[in-house]
Amino acid sequence: MSRRLIVLFLALLVLVGAMSLKTVVVTHGDGSVIMANGSAPPPPVPWKNGGTPVQVLGNGSAPPPPVPWK
Amino acid sequence: MPGLTNSIIWLVGTLLEGSVLVCALKTKSLRRYLFLNVYMALSFLVSVARFEVLIRWGYTSLEYAYFYFYSDALLTLGLYFALLNLYSLVFDEMKVERYLRLGAVVLLGGTAWFSYAVINQSSHRILSHFAFELSQNLYFVGLVLTYVLWGAILKLRETRTRLIQLVLALGIYFSAFAADYALRNLYPNLQPVFQYLTPTLAWILPAAWAYAFLCVREETRLAPSSLAAVSR
Repeated sequence: MSRRLIVLFLALLVLVGAMSLKTVVVTHGDGSVIMANGSAPPPPVPWKNGGTPVQVLGNGSAPPPPVPWK
Repeated sequence: MPGLTNSIIWLVGTLLEGSVLVCALKTKSLRRYLFLNVYMALSFLVSVARFEVLIRWGYTSLEYAYFYFYSDALLTLGLYFALLNLYSLVFDEMKVERYLRLGAVVLLGGTAWFSYAVINQSSHRILSHFAFELSQNLYFVGLVLTYVLWGAILKLRETRTRLIQLVLALGIYFSAFAADYALRNLYPNLQPVFQYLTPTLAWILPAAWAYAFLCVREETRLAPSSLAAVSR
């Protein structure tokens, strides 16, 4: 098998692993938003939980706003 | 508007991001760790811009919300490239840059395609939701890639202390957020604690990287453990 195919296979393996991990986490989570991010007072997510406070992980420390869609 | 404590946490986080650049400049590490520094510079600028938007339009405004999520997608992309920078440094002696680039493009393209496939069925505001979904998915890709890099460092018996420190900091950063998310779900009644703990976790990465640039010299190596030879 060529090296390119191995790289392709490994990249897809990482992608499948990451998306599976995300699915598991989101399924067992409370519906709050997860991101690779930081700080500030958590706003309620508009599409779930009826106003339960939700924290967003964000890049940097800026307060995460409510999600504008939905 | 965020409260006083959250504002202070935000300010300290922003200053820490700026301090990474200062430390990298001081130790002449700007070019070697270019994407790490670009990411930190972006984080600093975005943090300042977010504050401006927040002050002008308000916390609950659509302007702030859109700016926050679009800039967040940009930052997560920046973090992805910073991680690839660390990959290329770990594997630099193996001359596999070509394959790393191929893997990075495939992975980024695959994540973008997956994000589009998800939001295409569930949202009518495709562009903004796509930026948000891509950001989330790249976070998980980054998490997995960091653990893979940890494994590679162990397997290759990497001894460059600064590089190890930078990668370990990234792993701890990702892991801390994952643990925080899990704990928030387990103990939802501890919300008053988490509202300060979660933003404080954002300090981990800039603080650890600033320390690595300032206190760990590029040529420092980890001494391998000495083994005792026991005669039988």
